[in-house]
Amino acid sequence: MILDALKLDGKIAIITGAGRGLGRAMAVTFAGAGAEIVAAARTKSQLEETAALVRETGRRCLIVPTDVTDSAAVNAMAQAAVREMGRIDILINNAGGGDDSAGKTIEEITDEQWRRGIDTNLTSQFYAARAVIPQMVKQSRGKIINVASGYGLRGGKHNYMYACSKGGVIQLTRSLALTYASNNIQTNCIVPGVFPHNEEMIRFFKGGKFIPVGRPGDDAELGPLAVFLASDAANHINGELVAIDGGGLAGGILPTGAIPRLPN
Amino acid sequence: MASHPIVSSFSLDGKGALVIGAEHPIGRAAAVTLAEAGARILVASREPGTDAQLKETAKAVQDAGAKAVVRVQNAAIRADLSATVDLAAKEIGRLDIAVNALDAPWYGPADSADDSTFDRVFENNFKTVWMACQEEGRVMLRNGSGAIVNITSILAQRGVHNASLYCAAKAAVLNLTRALAIEWARGGIRVNALEAGWLDEPASPVLADEDFKKSLLKYLPENRLVAPKDLGGALLYLVSPVAGFVTGESIVVDGALMCRV
Repeated sequence: MILDALKLDGKIAIITGAGRGLGRAMAVTFAGAGAEIVAAARTKSQLEETAALVRETGRRCLIVPTDVTDSAAVNAMAQAAVREMGRIDILINNAGGGDDSAGKTIEEITDEQWRRGIDTNLTSQFYAARAVIPQMVKQSRGKIINVASGYGLRGGKHNYMYACSKGGVIQLTRSLALTYASNNIQTNCIVPGVFPHNEEMIRFFKGGKFIPVGRPGDDAELGPLAVFLASDAANHINGELVAIDGGGLAGGILPTGAIPRLPN
Repeated sequence: MASHPIVSSFSLDGKGALVIGAEHPIGRAAAVTLAEAGARILVASREPGTDAQLKETAKAVQDAGAKAVVRVQNAAIRADLSATVDLAAKEIGRLDIAVNALDAPWYGPADSADDSTFDRVFENNFKTVWMACQEEGRVMLRNGSGAIVNITSILAQRGVHNASLYCAAKAAVLNLTRALAIEWARGGIRVNALEAGWLDEPASPVLADEDFKKSLLKYLPENRLVAPKDLGGALLYLVSPVAGFVTGESIVVDGALMCRV
């Protein structure tokens, strides 16, 4: 039964960046598919709020305050997951985001700012994958889902760090997929389009009128895609990017809504 | 037992789905997947003279607990496709989902392929998909909603020896999918594709060669061919209500092969 293949009963899922926003939504969504959650993020109080929401669904939630740019902390997170929950079935590499280097000219970006951004968005995903892989190899089973962005595929004007780090996430996905295919570990990548997290962003994206479907995405729409990729329904999908962007990457060589004039 | 609200949100209960090419293993597996998820199914053929195979598909759909209506047709004939799509509204309530599993492998050297070969390969692998999308889109635009999935192949993205026309036709399907997704985005129709890796197809002429097959299996990252049912999860995701923001996308099901290239 295909719907049963989507169930994650008994599966242990580590979700980074689970203290708020998309990561929190992912944690609740995964619990709603049957998984037990290991929620990682920097701020303990935020993780506690996420844990309360997960536990409302009847699933366990272990919170592990973690700075994902600190490899020792990330290794400790993986060890805590194995010690407390017994195994690691799923890693959702969700932590990361934009920074205020976006919009700056290339000369204005400092070494420190560049490194911090790449560490947060790309190195963190490498660290987390490296920390869980030995356990997944031991289990001969595992799913890693990396969150990239449409900017991992297209260029961004005055947007170096974000485009480069997300492009790196896509290549990390492919290399992990190829390397651990024979260990039954599948690594895939979600490529979100526009998902505004607040009113200011909705205004910035003009309500989504530049998106082919005419609206932006909603955080609640990303969870089910991650659940699908983490489930047995996706066992032969490996190293793949799935864009969820309202058609953004399917077009884009003309402005949205621009219709070439028909010849007479 | 705790509930699974997220899993339930993938359900196709109450939806009507058309699968074209359902006499073949890929179309049959697609029909069974949609049936398992709760849809009513109209199973239509690619070619006439396939009554027995279609009935077998219908039986598999019914075994999965769903209604199956059988329609033997020729997908290369416009009037047939048009009538099939109209039948969907009558027999399965509404055309919410359409899966075009239209495929006819061709292998041959480019320098000696004649014009009739071109016509045949493009008709069977591309023109049928184009016409099916048009007819399905006509009804879905009227309804203001719908989800179409075209099943193509990783040959859409890369070249292989002795398959020039077939690769080109598969690529045509892939980019038709993107262009229709853009054109119909505001009409409420989502158009996506599935790209299968090397399929475990008894009929495949290339896999009949044991030496070829052995070296291919060694090259594949997971050392196995793609089974028709491997496509099921991605198909369900793409047509399900939870994928409302996914259009113009293609999901590759190939066990990491494309990561190599």
